[in-house]
Amino acid sequence: MSGPVFVGIDVGSSATKCVVIDDRFSVLGSHVVASGFDYAESAESALSRALAESGASRNDIASCVSTGYGRQHVDIADRNVTEISCHARGVREWSPEVRNIIDIGGQDTKVIRLNERGQMADYRMNAKCAAGTGTFLESIAARLGVPLKEIDALAMTSTCGTVVNSYCTVFAGTEVIERIKGGQPREDISMGIFRSIASRVFEMMPAHDGVCGVTGGVVAHCRAMVRALEEALDTMVYLPPQPQHAGAFGAALLALEFSKTEGSQPSHVARG
Amino acid sequence: MPATAKRIEIAAQKQLRPIVRDYFLNLDAAASDPARRVAWCTSIGPCEILTALGFEVYFPENHGALLGARKVSHEYIPRAVAAGYCAESCSYMTSDIGSALAGFSPLTEAFGIAGPPKPDLLVYSTNQCREVQDWWGFFGRRHEVPVLGITPPTHLGDVTAEHISFVRGELARLIDIIETHFGMKLNENHLTEVVARSSRASTLWNQILDTARVRPATFTFFDGLFHMSPVILMRGSQTAIDYYEVLLAEMSMRVRDGVGAVPNERYRVYWEGMPIWPKLREMSDKFFDLRAVVAASTYCNSWAFERFDGGDPLEWMAKTSIAIFINRDERFKQEFLVDMFDRFDIDGAIFHNARTCPNNTNSRFGMAQRLRDEQDRPILVFDGDLSDLRFFSTAQTMTNIEAFIEQLEERKR
Ligand code: SF4
Repeated sequence: MSGPVFVGIDVGSSATKCVVIDDRFSVLGSHVVASGFDYAESAESALSRALAESGASRNDIASCVSTGYGRQHVDIADRNVTEISCHARGVREWSPEVRNIIDIGGQDTKVIRLNERGQMADYRMNAKCAAGTGTFLESIAARLGVPLKEIDALAMTSTCGTVVNSYCTVFAGTEVIERIKGGQPREDISMGIFRSIASRVFEMMPAHDGVCGVTGGVVAHCRAMVRALEEALDTMVYLPPQPQHAGAFGAALLALEFSKTEGSQPSHVARG
Repeated sequence: MPATAKRIEIAAQKQLRPIVRDYFLNLDAAASDPARRVAWCTSIGPCEILTALGFEVYFPENHGALLGARKVSHEYIPRAVAAGYCAESCSYMTSDIGSALAGFSPLTEAFGIAGPPKPDLLVYSTNQCREVQDWWGFFGRRHEVPVLGITPPTHLGDVTAEHISFVRGELARLIDIIETHFGMKLNENHLTEVVARSSRASTLWNQILDTARVRPATFTFFDGLFHMSPVILMRGSQTAIDYYEVLLAEMSMRVRDGVGAVPNERYRVYWEGMPIWPKLREMSDKFFDLRAVVAASTYCNSWAFERFDGGDPLEWMAKTSIAIFINRDERFKQEFLVDMFDRFDIDGAIFHNARTCPNNTNSRFGMAQRLRDEQDRPILVFDGDLSDLRFFSTAQTMTNIEAFIEQLEERKR
């Protein structure tokens, strides 16, 4: 590898993602690992693997931005920026016409509204609760004893509009059991679980018009989630090339931009 | 960190500590003296009448805030819940009731007194919320003392002569009942003097808040929370006036010398809603580090009343008690906020959705959205609570605030 690289590391509550780009905005390598207990260690591990995939070494790193829940734990980062700004930046690069971003992560879900200039106009994060997040899905899958992959596959065969009404993880679990007892087909109940998340996300959105980009681990792995969101929004959504890496990609882009404008970069941004 | 500037302490605050200590020691002494009487009153209640009648006045909401600031509310709320008070109702109320049931008070450690002074009378006004009525009811039963109150018309658009006259009538009846029950007689000249001092303290407080209109702002919301205790606890006293004259002189010097509360101020923020008492320091540091000054707030401004220019003191009390922000309709509140944003040159506003206080929360009926549509200013709404940290996530809130400042920065570029 010759030439500088720019690194974005997104330490989420469930997964840590790393993206390495060159100075022409091209992705050279990326990697995702489970965040586990030690955020610094998972950031390190995601970085090593992404650098290896890029054919780059640590000496090639010109600038690094960390983001996500554990963003303060990344020693190598020059700065940290919130996941809200990083997702906005990443998705905007992939698709400039996007006006709404929905990111469904492990423990939080966020929606970001962009204005015509691509600036953040508004954003919302879910309240302190698992409703509408990956945790909601995982806990119901665990309660049913069925792997999430299987629930997704089952849901995609459903032809009925069942909705699980509860947002609350505990109540939704009980509702699912009641529906099973009531003899509802498994595929319909499975699809209903995704619709519950989609409806929670819908009400978080300050506006519904314009192209909607969807990101995060849940849409990356569950086609039924994309389907439920498209039903709720009554339109096709934009699924970027690496939905789970949107935050890390945005962080890498900001690292590149900050290094170009060094000296005039936003002074409020905390140095890592 | 880029925010290398140092915080400049407000010199007057050294004088405030002994003032507040004396206030509580005096209350404690009054409670154990059979010749003196103590009344409990809501924070924007008719305390001037009680002072003029010779009661020493104590404010339970302040105790709720102290429990929050001491980060112990969550230890006592479950006791109130077990006694039948809903966990989602006012956490000032539930933590205060719970702490009484547990026999705990932060006043013991702070001032060496047993706790809140035993009341002879409890007086409320529902101009802020109906919760206070039931909160006072608990203590009325516990101490076997009368609970009296006024119930003014609420959610007012315009404040009319009829509204004022109705509330004036309620206040006059309240005086009659107290006089009869305790065998007292109100001296009207004395009431006029108390009201004049109350108004003077409030005017000074307003002038102090107004010094934050300059860049850099002299004073932050977090400073205000500390320095507002005289206008709440000692309204109607000369002590409050004397203190605010000193503080105003210091803030005026800051204006003259260009001294800011956040010296390298870059963003000016408005805080709508209740403070988060257990997180004040963290919040204040976060804004400071981000070079953001919370230059104005609804909460601190709620004690800035209209000036009393002589005349009928009961009419002034009636008017101020219903004209306050919390007692007004959505239209009035929205106009008030826009005016505050303009006057304080605000870049963006933060709405705190306090989960247990719908009354001091203004993001529940679309106001934040309407302001966002009408104004070219970012607005953040986040969930939290005044005292109960079970409704609050530090990581999520801090991310929200940082993203908000990033949004302001993006607009400045
Ligand atoms: S206004 Fe809110 S915080 Fe104050 S007493 Fe009423 S419910 Fe409690």
